[in-house]
Amino acid sequence: MNGIVVKNISLNLGAFALHDISFEFDSGETFVILGPSGAGKSVLLETLAGFYHPDAGQIRIGGRDVTTMPPEARRIGFMFQDYALFPHLTVMQNVQFPQRADPSRVREVLARLGLEHLTDRKPVNLSGGEKQRVALARALAADPALFLFDEPLSALDARTRDTLREELKTLLRQLGVPAIYVTHDQAEALVLADRIAVLRDGRLQQTGRPAEVFNAPANEFVANFVGVETMLPAQIMKVSDNFVSMTVGDKTLYALDRGVDRTLRSVLACIRPEDVALSHSPSSDAGARNQFTARVVSVSTLGPLFKIALDAGFPLVAYAAKQLYLDLKLSPGASVTASIDATAIHLIAR
Amino acid sequence: MTPKTLVPSRGLLLTFWLIGGILLAFILIPLLQLYAAQTPASLAHVAGMAEVRDAIWLSLVAAFFTATFAGIFGVPLAYLLARTAFPGKALVEVIVDLPLAVPHTVAGIALLFVFGRTGVIGGPVSALTGFQFWGTIGGVVIAMLYVSAPYTVNAARVGFESVDPRLEKVARTLGANPWSVFRRVTLPLARRGILTGLTLTYARSISEFGAVIILTYYPMTAPVKIYDLFLQFGLGDSSAMAALYLLVALSLFILFRHLAYGRVVPGGRQ
Repeated sequence: MNGIVVKNISLNLGAFALHDISFEFDSGETFVILGPSGAGKSVLLETLAGFYHPDAGQIRIGGRDVTTMPPEARRIGFMFQDYALFPHLTVMQNVQFPQRADPSRVREVLARLGLEHLTDRKPVNLSGGEKQRVALARALAADPALFLFDEPLSALDARTRDTLREELKTLLRQLGVPAIYVTHDQAEALVLADRIAVLRDGRLQQTGRPAEVFNAPANEFVANFVGVETMLPAQIMKVSDNFVSMTVGDKTLYALDRGVDRTLRSVLACIRPEDVALSHSPSSDAGARNQFTARVVSVSTLGPLFKIALDAGFPLVAYAAKQLYLDLKLSPGASVTASIDATAIHLIAR
Repeated sequence: MTPKTLVPSRGLLLTFWLIGGILLAFILIPLLQLYAAQTPASLAHVAGMAEVRDAIWLSLVAAFFTATFAGIFGVPLAYLLARTAFPGKALVEVIVDLPLAVPHTVAGIALLFVFGRTGVIGGPVSALTGFQFWGTIGGVVIAMLYVSAPYTVNAARVGFESVDPRLEKVARTLGANPWSVFRRVTLPLARRGILTGLTLTYARSISEFGAVIILTYYPMTAPVKIYDLFLQFGLGDSSAMAALYLLVALSLFILFRHLAYGRVVPGGRQ
């Protein structure tokens, strides 16, 4: 395989360890490692870059086995938080820093990233977006086979972060260099990722396409981390006609059967808040098998959305846009109908 | 600009200024008196004495060599202390600071055991190469280095600690080997701390008396010559030379400080 292959990497640092990390992805893709702080994201990146030597396992970049190489031989473009531009050098000198940066290559990357007019500036006089482009240019001048991003946007204000994230996504698509991007921000992961891995305590919890990880989390931790707000302990009653029926308290929920393990009894039913539809009254649409009359318990604002905590005989969380919020008069105590499509319920073994 | 703060009251600040002002006056008044006692003729008189000029020149040159050696031997140690953890690090830190606590006459006597005529280094070096630490600038530099090296190590260490390790890491990923990273990233960014250390070492060396006079009375450095003039002729010539030497030493100190800190450009140091 010509992309990135990480196979069974283990590293023991005493206070912290990486356990048997394996993943692979194609060149040109962006692989996002999502996890809370302390999960080992930075240690994993620095291991891939060569600052730690793994106790076991193998790292291949574009067909080359780099496991025992020093960082300077791996052809890695490392992008730190705040970008770590050399403060004593101008933009031009930063981009000329790599030994592999010959003059024509330097000119090419400066032009490609639109930096020609900034070459004499010092990093301290650059905006966030300019710093990002200089750091990319400097990394590109060294002709990297892999980009590593260590939460480069996490110290920025929300507006700048959104802008830079979009700019970065576009650039990564254009450049075609594979990238590993670590973050604790699920929104960032969704925007940037071709593939996502969720990391916790030095172990990968799940790896897959963003839709897989977000809609079908492998366990409770992943579900929590990717924003599943409702997780209901349920008992499976019957599996038939492509549906799994289960009880939650005295209510019955129906989930699409995606090949559920027939011996399974106790499960967690996961429902994303954006999959809960709210309306005035029950609809006759047969497709919506799960309809409940629910009472609004509390309402909080999430920027453009309202987060509605409901009691439907079990706790349920939904999102509502402002118009819907006003139409349904969703203040605490109000009564509404909550519908959940059977395809939107994901089951986790318990 | 220091931000204006309303927390301490005017009364407290005023009282502290009065108390602090006494200390400032205590530092400045003796120096001003020293100059008040001089006439252009008295300064010209000592400036015309060849042995006075030689002593001042020797102090300046020996201090320069001292700072150079302190840089060569102190900067690597400063880097180790700033960047690595190792068993016995606390002990190494104590050893570095030791000369600051040792009375300088004691340092001079201890140095005699090593660099003197029969010293463990002085003896063999003299026998092998003919070079002697006594009666030469070599002894002066040794004495100065012993008491002033800690300033370089400690200030350079602070300089290295101020360099973000991520800059060194990113330089590695850009293809630079560890030596190249040190030369192209770490050293230039720690420059200010290192220069501060060298300036302090230089200043300390210029003023050193106790260790120098015991290890090697001759050739006379400026402080030794001032003492010599004081013993022979009293306050007259010795105070004139003191005033002259202070003028030269302070000018150099200000010049070095300017070189170390001065080139601050808008938006970052050079």
